[in-house]
Order: sequence, then C-alpha cells, then structure tokens
Amino acid sequence: MMMSQVDPKTLKIEKEISRSDILLSVTSVGDSSRVFVGSSDARIYELDAMAEKPEPQAMEGHQSYVTGLVQTGELLISGSFDGSLIWWNVETREQVRSVKAHKKWIRQLAISPDGKLVASVADDMVCRIWKTANGRLVRELKGHAEKTPHHFPSMLYACSFSSDGELLATADKTGQTVVWTVKKGKQLAQIETPIMYTWDPKQRIHSIGGVRSVAFSADNSLLAVGGTGTINNIDHLEALSRVEIFDWESGEQTHEFAGDTYKGLVEQLVFHPENQWLLAAGGDHNGFIKFYDLNEKKIIKQDKAPMHIHDLVVNEAYDTIYAVGHGKLVVWKMQSEASEV
Amino acid sequence: MVKPRRTSFCGSPEHDINRRRFLGGATALAGISGGLHALRHPVLADELKKQQKRVILLWLAGGASQLETWDPKPGRPTGGPFRSIQTSTAGLQISELMPKMASRLQDTAIIRSLNTRIGDHGGGSILMHLGRRDEPNLSYPDLGSVMARELGQADSTVPDYVTFYTATEGRGNAVGRPGFLGARYAPMFLTTSNKPEDIERIANLSEIDHKQRGDLRQLLSDRFTRGRETSRALDSHNVAYRRVRGLMASDTLFDVEQEPQKMRDRYGPTLFGQQCLIARRLAEAGTPFVKVSRAWWDSHGQNFETHLELVTELDHVMSTLLDDLKERGLLESTLVITMAEFGRTPKINGSLGRDHFANAWSASLSGCGVQGGSVYGKTDEDGQTVADGEIGAARMFATIYKALGIDPHKDYYVGARPVPLTDPGTTVVDELLA
Repeated sequence: MMMSQVDPKTLKIEKEISRSDILLSVTSVGDSSRVFVGSSDARIYELDAMAEKPEPQAMEGHQSYVTGLVQTGELLISGSFDGSLIWWNVETREQVRSVKAHKKWIRQLAISPDGKLVASVADDMVCRIWKTANGRLVRELKGHAEKTPHHFPSMLYACSFSSDGELLATADKTGQTVVWTVKKGKQLAQIETPIMYTWDPKQRIHSIGGVRSVAFSADNSLLAVGGTGTINNIDHLEALSRVEIFDWESGEQTHEFAGDTYKGLVEQLVFHPENQWLLAAGGDHNGFIKFYDLNEKKIIKQDKAPMHIHDLVVNEAYDTIYAVGHGKLVVWKMQSEASEV
Repeated sequence: MVKPRRTSFCGSPEHDINRRRFLGGATALAGISGGLHALRHPVLADELKKQQKRVILLWLAGGASQLETWDPKPGRPTGGPFRSIQTSTAGLQISELMPKMASRLQDTAIIRSLNTRIGDHGGGSILMHLGRRDEPNLSYPDLGSVMARELGQADSTVPDYVTFYTATEGRGNAVGRPGFLGARYAPMFLTTSNKPEDIERIANLSEIDHKQRGDLRQLLSDRFTRGRETSRALDSHNVAYRRVRGLMASDTLFDVEQEPQKMRDRYGPTLFGQQCLIARRLAEAGTPFVKVSRAWWDSHGQNFETHLELVTELDHVMSTLLDDLKERGLLESTLVITMAEFGRTPKINGSLGRDHFANAWSASLSGCGVQGGSVYGKTDEDGQTVADGEIGAARMFATIYKALGIDPHKDYYVGARPVPLTDPGTTVVDELLA
C-alpha cells in the first residue's frame, strides 16, 4: 500500500476565502475540494473551496448557528444550536429528515468510521447516537453533570469515535472526558483535566474553558483532549493553548503540550493515521494551527491562522486541511512524499 | 453645607399627611426601641411597607450584553445564537436566557434606548452612578447616597446604604460616594464578606455590660441636659450612639441563616443569590438603598458562554427577588433596577466576544412607580444605534427619582450654591412610570 509521508513543515495556505459570517463547522465530500460549511446565519453552504471564484449554495433549515456537519455516502447531517439534526441529500441539497435531537445547543457531531452512526453532544449534557441511514436513536449516554461545581450550567463540548468504531469519547466544560462503549453505552474510563476548566472565584466570579476537542489515536490506545491552561483573564481567553494525551485505559498521562506560543482554545484535534503527528487548531482573537511530534514530544510546526479556527477537516491523503472560523475558510496544503508502507 | 430638606413624597396631600403621621410614629418608636424592632409592631410594619420607598440596584458590573438580555436581535448578523421568547406582555420579546423574567414582566419596564456615549469602565461607571458627568470642583453624590438622603429616616438604626461588591475586578469603578452630602450618607461597602465587619460587640463585653454602659451614658447625658437649653451637639451625639447600637443590632440582617432553608433554596446557592436575599432582608427592615454588584460581565471573549452562565443566574435570582418582594407586599414600594456602565457591541469579534458599547444599550426598572410590562425606546434592526426614544443617564436618573416620589428638579445647597438633583432641562420619561 502506498501511504504519503506528509511533512507539516511544508504547511502553507493555499486558499483563503473571506466571508461576513462566522463559520462553525465543515465537512468535505470524499477526497474532493467540495465542502459544506455551517454558518452563524443558520445556513449551510456548499462550495468548491479551490474554485477560482467559489459560488456558495445555501441550504436553509436550521434556526441557529450550525455547529456540526458530517457526511457519509449521499447523506450530509447537520447539527445546530437549535437542538435539531437535519439529514440532507448531498447531491440535491434537499432535506431528508429533521430530528429534534436535544433540548439545548448541539455543540459537535462525530461520525463513526463506517459511516453508520452519528453522535451528537449538547448542553443538555447527553450524548445521543443515531443511525445515519434512518435517523433512529440508537443510544443515550448520560453521565456528565448538568451543573458545574459552582452551580452554573455545564456544557458538553466534544465527542469523537475511535478508529474501530467501538468507543466514543465525550468531553465537558469542567474538564471531564468519558470513554464509552458504543454497543452498550458503558462507561469504560473517565479522564480528568481540571486545569482546562477555569473558575475565577475572586476577580470575576464566573467560569470559562472546558475540554473543547477530543480524539483517539489510530490504534485507539491514546486519547487526546484539548482546551487551554488556566486562564488568567477570563475576559479575553488569556491562556496558552493546551493538549494532554492519555493512555485512557490506565489513565496515565503520556503527553502534555503546554506553554507554547499561541493562546486560546484548542478547538480541533486530528491524529495522523500512523501517529506521525497530532494536529491541533483553535485560537482566541487570533487563530493557530500546530503539529506535535508524538515520539519526540515536541512541536513540529506551528503557525498563526488568519482566524480563530472552529472546525477543520483533513482529506484522505492527510495533506490538505479545510479549516473554518471567524469570517474565513482557509485551505492549507502540505507537501508529501509517496512511500511504500 | 447641605440645606436639610426632605421632600421624598409624590406631592399628593393625602400622601403628605400619611407620611407625616408615619414619620412621627416611627421616630417616636425608634426613640424607644429602634427601627428594627419597629417591624415587630404590626401596624407600623404595615405603614413601613406602604410608605417607605426602597431601591435595590442590581449592578451588572463590566457591562452585560443587551442582546443577550433585554434587546435580542435573533436572526441578524449581530444577534448571536440565542433566540428571543415571548414575554407576559403581548408583542414584547426578550432573550431566551430569561424565561423566568419573561413570564413575570408585568412589574418590569425595559429601557432599550440608552445612549450614554462613554465606553470605558471607569467613566461609564461614574456616569451611571452619578447620573451625570463628574466635575472636578464639585463632588456629586452617587445614586445610593441620594437615596439614603431622600428615603432614609433621620434616626434610622438600620444602614441607609449598603453595597455588595465581592469580585475584585472593577470594584474600584463601583462608585459609592456621598460627595457633598457628607459622610452620613456614605455606603456600608461589603467586599470580602456578606456581613459587615467590626460591628459585632467585642468578645469580652457581654450584652448586659454593653447595654448597661449605654444606659449609664444615657443617664449622664440626661442629667447633663436637665435644666439646660437643648444642646444640638449632644442631640447629635445621642442619635449617633443610638444609630451605632442599631447598626450593631442589624448584624443579623446580613445573616442568610436567619432565613428558612426553603427561602435560601429559592434564591439559590450562588453568591449573587445570597446577596440578593440579604438585600431583600435589608429592604424589608427599612434600608432604603442596597446595591448588589454582580461582576464580571466583560465578555471580550466567549461572550455567549459567559452570558449563558451569568444571564441564567440573573434570570433566576432577579425573578426570585421580585416574587419575594411581591409576596411580602414590598414590591410596590421597592424599585429594583438592573443596569451597568454600558452594554456590549452588536458586532461579534473574532473570539466570539462582544466589546464595550455605550451607544445603544438596555436597563430595566421593576416595581415601585413603574409602568410594568412596558418597553421604552428602540434600537435599529442590528442594535447598532438608537432608533427611537434615545435617553442618557440623566433622564434615566430623573425617571428613577420620580418613580420614588422624589422631585428630580429639587435643589441641594452646597454653601449658597444650589445644585439641582439632575442637570437643568432633564426631563422624566413618563412613559416608564405608572
């Protein structure tokens, strides 16, 4: 099998598309540059990210920010702060079905590797697993506390399937990440990263932060969680970005990436399928994108992004990144060298 | 010197007569057993409820977003992710973060057209505490001190002006100053604790000893004055002693443990909830002005997460406070205000935050003298400018004064200089008043 050896050091922006809205979610169709983006104007837009003059096609159906997009076969599934999931036909852009999935904001969607299941996490603190084929609810995962330790509403920010589709990780505002079995909905492990939740009891008396991203390594032995370190000034997300990686079965922390240049939340995490690197992206007022070498436990490459990145998708060759955020869609490319593996 | 005039009534002859009768009775009783104990006298307690006006200011320090509270713009680029919901007033919608207030808007008036122009914390705070711009040559009193002066009883034994500000951020901006009114009207400023410090009886002095010392002091004072003309200095001295004694006795007002658990649960476990419960206890006992500062709303980043947390709390605590006051028959004589130094920008910044914005923001008035279920003023469709009914701090303060039966055009005197309560030409927003 030929697998490309992608070099993150060659990362450069290939395309930058400015927009007046905030883009919160993105997914691509197959290995093409055709992407769907979820917007703060409650619409989804389809566009060719590499076209000279992209002509976005709007899809209407949601009532609030579109925060999750996943795609499988002919189906696109979107989730929104309006609490609903909508199934769309990718080709016709028509609605297939709409499901009132959660009572509160849907924060993120994840699709199983085989494309048969989609998970949604929301501020009702429940993760629900749905069949992509028919929209049927398969399982509810309940266990995250509804309130923070300081009596305020908590938030369930992130979810991710393992590469074999057997496990699902969910993560919340207070720094709790839970690993569940998909088949039974059983809790297998609980990982705590309390530093990612900042409660300011003295200066400002409210909280901020949380685990905003979670991802399993390709062999599913490691679980990465992303957020920030302790935030000094919670008005401004004034904290360095932070990633911690755990051997989730033992609970042992294997990696800690903190104290580097860029500030803000780690909104997205993607492991390279051969664990060559871990990609992290996010930001505060500004954005960042960075690659960690897991063997050397150091940063391979980090760049300032043109915007706070809310979501990204990596193509099948792992050499192209479509990232969306505040007023921008950006395409990054990396050079790769084909090699036999 | 301040010319001592107290005209805190609405002007009607009936009110005037009742007020004089009440003040006479209250003063007499206060001289016997203190204002706190007056509440145990059912007739006087009822009179207190009917006549005495009070203010509870919920100071949303740092600047709450009008778009996430009183003036939502759903579906607009500036609107953010929250929806609007219908209130108990037909055609009036507020943010979905305030469902409890939405169902109780019959006692609340919303102002959506504040343009106060000052977009920095310090300047905005001064403006919204004084109701006017500061002057280098004259120290104006803040709203609380004016209320202490206008609504407080001369020989009250409860504090006239209590302010809570526990967070450290922005505390220096939370102006609490009597200015030319003098130290008598300065706030009791609580920062590190919900209870005032240094007013407890010292540990090695028993209650009996303490009382006996007071009695001895009074006996000597009486003997001294016997056969002499009335001494103003000694009278003042005696009033001060009674007041200190009363303030010491008011220590329990700050203790939420005195409330049934059920009531504490209603207000909730947060600091803001507890302080609002204490504010109600103080108002009920006759404290004319309590400010509960809830900091810190300055959401330059993650505005929606911050407001999810803070507006949810505000909605719960404010609605509980209004319910509680109403159940006790106090809401018609208590004005509950929410305001801040400014609002927040309609434009959402790159960190999903909103910045300082004083050009078109909102406040609310509930209870005493207010036309409940009303909304005054309007912003444009994106909330960028005031489209109708623009008012500044001066008109808002004039309206507050009138709601409480205080003539907003009355003069204080600093020496021979008349100083009007509001700047000349300031008009009241009558549409907000019942």
